Amino acid sequence: MNLERIPNEEKLSLCRKYYLGGFAFLPFLWLVNCVWFFKEAFVKPAYTEQPQIKTYVKRSALGLLLWVTVLTTWICIFQHFRAQWGEVADYISFTIPLGTP
Amino acid sequence: MNTSDSEEDACNERTALVQSESPSLPSYTRQTDPQHGTTEPKRRRHANSDTEAGHAARGGVAAPRERDSGPVPDGEDEELTVKYGAKHVIMLFVPVTLCMVVVVATIKSVSFYTEKNGQQLIYTPFTEDTNSVGQRLLNSVLNTIIMISVIVVMTIFLVVLYKYRCYKFIHGWLILSSLMLLFWFSYMYLGEVFKTYNVAMDYPTVAMIIWNFGAVGMICIHWKGPLQLQQAYLIVISALMALVFIKYLPEWSAWVILGAISVYDLIAVLCPKGPLRMLVETAQERNEPIFPALIYSSTMIWMVGMANPSQASDSADRSADEEVRHSEDVILEREEAEPEVQMHRGQNRSYSAEEELEEDRGVKLGLGDFIFYSVLVGKAAATGGDWNTTLACFVAILIGLCLTLLLLAIFKKALPALPISITFGLVFYFSTDNLVRPFMDNLAAHQYYI
Repeated sequence: MNLERIPNEEKLSLCRKYYLGGFAFLPFLWLVNCVWFFKEAFVKPAYTEQPQIKTYVKRSALGLLLWVTVLTTWICIFQHFRAQWGEVADYISFTIPLGTP
Repeated sequence: MNTSDSEEDACNERTALVQSESPSLPSYTRQTDPQHGTTEPKRRRHANSDTEAGHAARGGVAAPRERDSGPVPDGEDEELTVKYGAKHVIMLFVPVTLCMVVVVATIKSVSFYTEKNGQQLIYTPFTEDTNSVGQRLLNSVLNTIIMISVIVVMTIFLVVLYKYRCYKFIHGWLILSSLMLLFWFSYMYLGEVFKTYNVAMDYPTVAMIIWNFGAVGMICIHWKGPLQLQQAYLIVISALMALVFIKYLPEWSAWVILGAISVYDLIAVLCPKGPLRMLVETAQERNEPIFPALIYSSTMIWMVGMANPSQASDSADRSADEEVRHSEDVILEREEAEPEVQMHRGQNRSYSAEEELEEDRGVKLGLGDFIFYSVLVGKAAATGGDWNTTLACFVAILIGLCLTLLLLAIFKKALPALPISITFGLVFYFSTDNLVRPFMDNLAAHQYYI
């Protein structure tokens, strides 16, 4: 859908819904929110709803950053210590590579 | 050209339809002299109501019906036809190519999709592991008959549901189907990719990935989302569906099914009693978009002029044809979007105090088209041997698509998108595989360059 042709209140509502939706373990939704509303929030000339959209975009970006850190840390830990953890690691593994590490 | 977005939302579609239906304000394509109130040279009805409606069905290229009011200069019309036709062809090339590239890349790298371990869908119960060629041929024809009858039954069921206004059922069906595609198939796909590249992965991370991918996909496709993301998701799910087909359809059955389904498409869309055509006509009578099914739309625009509230055109016409398929354990609901190409052409220029906007309607192609094109090219990549065959099929399909769009521009009504492309594809595949390949191999073997 084109953001150009919907009224500002609807844009705000959409941004807000995307922001709230991201709390359901959906950092990707926050990413989409940031990218999609970036222009609206920061590039376009000011309009009444813009400050609120700005806050939502900023908070989404923050949440996204947080999730990315958490996930990266976990992935690094898992990849590094997988072989050492033995049975527990096998239990939580989705795919186990063949061969020796 | 203004970039336009398609509006997926059914609600918006409906509101848009309401707008466009207001009799006093037909859409003006061009107002030469607003002050004198002269008749517009061209008045095209916004596709919304008409063409879009049709599209649940497959393969239709629909063009807006024109309500002729003023004299329409033919030369200008032709020119616009050609101009917009060419643009729309390009707009469709990219997604079709992307889908095929994804499928071919997967086929070539992930061996899972080319392994045959005897599992077949219940739609193709006859095995092809027979002793004689005749028996094998017979089995593949029987498989095709079963498959096509299932498709026909599902289409008729869909049309009946639509006629009796069981919208909730259809919506539910579509949602279930896309859930299946977005979560289950992508989970399988991810698993196979990780196994191919020998990567360790843990359940929590996979759960996060699949959950995010699926949830955002559902939101983008069935609710509101950025156009490019929605297009990307549609391409991905078409590719996933095509991969499943390539894996589970036996060799010869797949080719016969491709041929048969093009014929079916032709009949269903063009014959007066064809289910798809009835679907289109019913939707047009009711002046409503069918339902948020799956149709890929390239662009949609609407610019609202200040002076003239233009009608929102929406491209959200999508139609999907659902087909229930049973895999080994799981019940899949596959959406077989009607391969339908619709072209809504409307040029709307409304003069307003502040801006002059031009809009252009994009083209819509059903997801079923994407799926079957990709199945053809994927099968060529899987079994054809070398890249010559694959490329030949790819080119053939694109040529077919061009021709279909050309016909669309000429006939301006819903057209099936499968027949021409699939015919060319099949012809190119078999001739390249059997004539060109041995020829090239021999030339290379003897180091003879031509």
